[in-house]
Amino acid sequence: MPDTAASKRFTVPIGPQHPALKEPGHFEFTVDGEIVTNAYVRLGYAHRGIEKAAESRNWVQNLYLLERVCGICSHIHGFAYSLAVERLANIEAPPRAQAIRVIVAELERIHSHLLWMGVSAHEAGFDTLFMYSWRDRETIMDVLEGLTGNRVNYSANVLGGVKFDVTPTQADIIRKGLTFLEERTKHYLDVIMHDTMFLQRTRGIGVMTRSQAEVMGALGPTARASNVQRDLRVEAPYAAYKDFPVQMVLDTRGDLEARFEVRINELFESYRLINQILDNLPEGELNVRVPRRIPAGEMIVRLEAPRGEVFYFIKSNGTDKLERLKVRTPTICNMTSVVRLSVGHQLADVPMILAGIDPCFSCNDRTVQIRQADGGAQPNGLSSLMSWEELRQYAIRKYEAR
Amino acid sequence: MKRFFTMLPDITRSLFRRPVTENYPAVQSETPERLRGALKWDPSTCTGCGLCVMDCPAEALELTVLDRKAKRFVMVYHVDRCTFCGQCVMSCKQGSIVMNNQSWELAALDRNSFATIFGAPEDVKEALANKPEDGAAKSE
Repeated sequence: MPDTAASKRFTVPIGPQHPALKEPGHFEFTVDGEIVTNAYVRLGYAHRGIEKAAESRNWVQNLYLLERVCGICSHIHGFAYSLAVERLANIEAPPRAQAIRVIVAELERIHSHLLWMGVSAHEAGFDTLFMYSWRDRETIMDVLEGLTGNRVNYSANVLGGVKFDVTPTQADIIRKGLTFLEERTKHYLDVIMHDTMFLQRTRGIGVMTRSQAEVMGALGPTARASNVQRDLRVEAPYAAYKDFPVQMVLDTRGDLEARFEVRINELFESYRLINQILDNLPEGELNVRVPRRIPAGEMIVRLEAPRGEVFYFIKSNGTDKLERLKVRTPTICNMTSVVRLSVGHQLADVPMILAGIDPCFSCNDRTVQIRQADGGAQPNGLSSLMSWEELRQYAIRKYEAR
Repeated sequence: MKRFFTMLPDITRSLFRRPVTENYPAVQSETPERLRGALKWDPSTCTGCGLCVMDCPAEALELTVLDRKAKRFVMVYHVDRCTFCGQCVMSCKQGSIVMNNQSWELAALDRNSFATIFGAPEDVKEALANKPEDGAAKSE
């Protein structure tokens, strides 16, 4: 934190281990009385080295490693990776498989948004909404378990298609679950739009204008609540979204209330889309064969996860293992807005502003840069970066010198 | 129009309802048909190709091929390493591997009980002779 006049005021450190945060992240809020005057965030406490680990596994094994990048949106990572590998191998999954992938992706969006609604209601102190929305979320968890065989890491994807079919019986179970949830979601929309005490925590809090959202590179529902038309399902439709278009949900207000409304209205859109796909499910195969060695090349895939855009870069060198993988999840793009929007608000509003972007800390912790201890030898005043080999040699020297 | 206590009807209704939580383990709900539990392996259809071992992301499978023609295979399945992804079921062209939706209560106090050995008893004996570290594992 820079040593300015602002930092001489009282600073409230939060994290990395803190009962209010479920995942490790360090925040420092400089406060003047109750008002936040400066904010600072430091991430990277949950870096797991997944990208490096992916280089030592084969193409099939990586599918399950990457599904574990995020526990909430696990399907979208498997989906993005499968799409990238299929495009590199010049293969297209059969239409039925693509439709089933989209069904699972939308079911996952419903589960993620309901989970988020509960968490942020809890941050606002509205535990009744938290309890009841999580009770109803069990409906979608049961649907996912019945459809895919697991509640969390669904493993729906396989390179070249999907693992399972959606039978008419399964479709009826999904429809029944969605009908129940639609009624409940209408009730929750009514609650978040009209509850006096809850509105005091959301209305006019953390307002992000459209230009701010564009400058800070906000993504997903956070950006759409500020009227930024950014939804890859609409802008660059992939898989079955080409045949089953989605209506983008937008709001102009940009405050926390708008973020709640955008996410809840997206639920209705997901219910409609799943029902539409179930009624018009394409016939055909579930998967096609993918070679064990993927042709050399580079591929970029962008998909719309529940929190925003997920970015995958894959480089293949023609063997049965990938050469380089880069994953970027939406939280890292939205984190800037937390730091900017907290300033000027009461400290008590900060947890709500943080929860408003639907953060997922361990998803975004990915890159580590280690600098040499050469005290700013570079022309830009920074110390030079340590390469992988230099780091390895450094570790060996340190080990031997014990 | 702002209102107070918007969720009061939910709370009132819940007062007269039973809890939604399941009374496990006293009452066990039905497991979904597709639930991925511990796997079962059938040596009679196995060809010993080893694709399941190659594709397993958790290195939970070990296949020892004693005699491919006589179909003498021994499979060691480490249920504690298994992530229940079902890739082995997809990779097996012969359908020798199935995941049992009934066996999901897999907690145990003894570490050795997590390795399940499939195969004919004499094959298991021969295979284990070369792998003494798995000697304590239970046989099925």
